[in-house]
Amino acid sequence: MANEKLSALVEGNIEQITGMWMRAVRDDTRIDSDAVLSSLELRDHVPAILEEICALLRADETPDPTNTLEGRVKVYLRFQQGYRGRELAREVSLLRTVILDFLADRCGAPSMNVNLKAYYPTTRIINLYMDEILINAISAYSETI
Amino acid sequence: MFTQEDFEQLIKNYNEDFLYLLIRASQNSYECLISSFMMLKDLYNAIVKFQASEKYFFRILPYPLSFRANDDLLRTMGFDEEGIRNIYGFLEFVKQTQGKEFEECLQDSVYNLCKRDPGDQPWRMRN
Repeated sequence: MANEKLSALVEGNIEQITGMWMRAVRDDTRIDSDAVLSSLELRDHVPAILEEICALLRADETPDPTNTLEGRVKVYLRFQQGYRGRELAREVSLLRTVILDFLADRCGAPSMNVNLKAYYPTTRIINLYMDEILINAISAYSETI
Repeated sequence: MFTQEDFEQLIKNYNEDFLYLLIRASQNSYECLISSFMMLKDLYNAIVKFQASEKYFFRILPYPLSFRANDDLLRTMGFDEEGIRNIYGFLEFVKQTQGKEFEECLQDSVYNLCKRDPGDQPWRMRN
């Protein structure tokens, strides 16, 4: 099953993907709020988010409000840390881009033997996961008193 | 009729219960904690589904249900280093007694839980 193959690919490279994402956030001049966070605070639970995505990929499960718990932790924490909403959205966008770039790069290798039909369901789950984080963030930033 | 105020009271109750369970974990009171978390998960799922129905708002944010590997979250909630260590110890305790991760246990039947030691039988009706 392609999802399992790509899930294993992400799972085996969680540290690398997290590192790529942290560099991307630090390098993005449009994000200011990260300046006050230590590396550990910035990293927070991104590895846990990646693990949760891998579990959804393995189960071929569609992300929804009840199975995206780690994404909700991220929103809750960033809200508490005083992050601006648009900066959180930028972080999520970078995470999405880093994961998809990573997969596209690795799946380009002929040895992976992943065609578009197999690649698409994986990227769909990843995209829906990130959308769930953003939907939750919009609720938190616009509804919370 | 279930109103926005009722919804907010539900979130307040959930937040209080969640904090209480974490306080117990932080003080090494692990007994039957996982079945309590399991019931709380149902309440959490109901809350996020209510909100996702777009009829209710998150004027109060519910605590996120996951607390794995997240020192920042636990510090935000007021736990010190020892308390955080004990909470992570609970996750280890679950793995040792149940033979699987905490999150996997939450998906399982409550009848498979509440064991104090590996091999213990879960609570059942007498007849």
